Amino acid sequence: MCKVDKIIDETPDVRTYRLIMNDPARMETFKWMPGQFVEFSLLGHGECTFCISSSSTRPGYFDCSIKRAGVVTADIHSQLEEGMDVGIRGPYGNWFPTEEIKGKNLLFVGGGIGLAPLRSLIQYCIDNRKDYKDFTILYGARTSADMCYKEEIEEWKKNPSLKVILTIDKPEETWKENVGVVPKILEEVVKPAVENTKVITCGPPIMIKYTLVSLDKLGFAPKDVITTLEMKMQCGLGKCGRCNIGSTYVCKDGPVFTYEQLKSLPDEF
Amino acid sequence: MSVFIVETDKAGLQKFYEEIIGKFETYAPVEKFDKYDYKKVSNLSECNPDSPIETTMSLKPLFFPKTAKIMKFQEDSSGTTLSETDEDPLAGSRVILGVKHCDARGLQVLDQVYNWDYIDTDYQKRRINTVIVSTRCDKAGNQCFCTSLDYDVENSDAHDVRIVNGLDGKIYIQGVTEKGEKLIKSSSIQQPASDGAKDELSKHYKAFDASFRLKMNYTEVNAKLQKLFDSPEFETVSSNCISCNTCAFICPTCHCFKISDEKIKDTGVRYKSYDSCNNGYFTLMAGGHNPRPVKYRRWRQRSLHKFVYYKERFGMNLCVGCGHCAISCPVNISIFDVVNQVSKIMQ
Repeated sequence: MCKVDKIIDETPDVRTYRLIMNDPARMETFKWMPGQFVEFSLLGHGECTFCISSSSTRPGYFDCSIKRAGVVTADIHSQLEEGMDVGIRGPYGNWFPTEEIKGKNLLFVGGGIGLAPLRSLIQYCIDNRKDYKDFTILYGARTSADMCYKEEIEEWKKNPSLKVILTIDKPEETWKENVGVVPKILEEVVKPAVENTKVITCGPPIMIKYTLVSLDKLGFAPKDVITTLEMKMQCGLGKCGRCNIGSTYVCKDGPVFTYEQLKSLPDEF
Repeated sequence: MSVFIVETDKAGLQKFYEEIIGKFETYAPVEKFDKYDYKKVSNLSECNPDSPIETTMSLKPLFFPKTAKIMKFQEDSSGTTLSETDEDPLAGSRVILGVKHCDARGLQVLDQVYNWDYIDTDYQKRRINTVIVSTRCDKAGNQCFCTSLDYDVENSDAHDVRIVNGLDGKIYIQGVTEKGEKLIKSSSIQQPASDGAKDELSKHYKAFDASFRLKMNYTEVNAKLQKLFDSPEFETVSSNCISCNTCAFICPTCHCFKISDEKIKDTGVRYKSYDSCNNGYFTLMAGGHNPRPVKYRRWRQRSLHKFVYYKERFGMNLCVGCGHCAISCPVNISIFDVVNQVSKIMQ
């Protein structure tokens, strides 16, 4: 069991829940890697799968950023308050290849709530900054109000060793950054160098689809593009049988896959 | 594999059953309205372990209950407390009589998924504490095709004890596993089988093998299905399906489940209950995205999971050829026909 320590309103429909385990000894030993997920229970309402959106390099708590999308998430938003208990199982799944991307340039491409799993890795890489080379974050949302982690993004922008590029879909009066969908900005503004670069992307399916096309155009090899998948999950243990794509269980073998691995799976999307 | 065999006659077999029922918690096929299902019995007259008719439901619910309470929770001013449920996942040992080949084989298939990585301890406890006694497979049923699915009937160790009606009129009781051998040794039937017993068993299995109406070239079907993910044929074969999920619930190997909570005031229970990939909501995600929104995609998943994916992952086929689904389907869909028809379009 965990207590909700703090609730942070990110956007009109996304909130970040900062959680601390009731048992301090367990909190101490609770370790996870960026990209892993937990099963989050609002008891009596149901259990949902969320990635951990903070990094274990910042110990003592962990974050789950939750978008109001379905029945349980609506209940979480309307009924879960600071100081209340939630049930947590995990961490489950694989993680971003933090070792493999050492010494590489990193390009993060995120859209909407898709920044949540990336944020865990971004924090992890910032906290181990010397292990990684150039660091670029491209983040897009429908409107400026739909951007998650606004305060943290401001901090990232102030950090001289990070390059942060923001974009929204349609122009707004007070908006001074880019306007346009993520793949367009990727091709026209970011123009990333392919050499020695790993791309980590997550966002809504439509964004991922066209981002992969753009990355292909820019010359990125499928093995250098890493993403994390969303699938309906319940047990997180490779038993309940709903997250499989072919013989691959997303909850055990994923959720993190390279584009190369995804291409070898049956085309269920 | 043990080769411990005793021989007896009809009266001896009855005695063997009676002794088991007297000593252990026993389950056996019980008739109701001409249909059979595994029920707890306290007397041999209540049940019919030798009935040739297959049970409607498979053996699965005795190991993986239709609905199980997995956790309780209680809320008060200080927070929420979790506790174990009072349901005892089978403390003592039990014997199941009258099991068919397919049902026992189904458990071996389920073992693969329940014992990889995280181990389902409730399931495992039930497995360890159960002795399975098979009979009844003298002649294949109308929808049976177990021998087609890389299943070696003669050398199978899916059951602990096998009872075989020899063509010579004798009844052979064979202990296949250590558990089974122990069960036989604890009974009063101790007449060791004559030297020719093994040949008699072989003859029995040959006759059994020859009695199948349905035959499938499994290797070929498996190989073809691997390449037929995009086949439009899945639409044709699934068009009659009314998505009632009966096939999955009675299947010996379907193991998908869902987790749900029930809460009244401050106390609640978490349940684990059967679910099925034929259910349209099975993969529906919050926010509306559903990778399998239409019937043919769900049937494709069902067919390929059974005949390709599971084999790839766990080395066994996720269909044991029992024909339960075909017998109970309200619109006469048979998984045998489905995979045959789909793979037929490829030459």
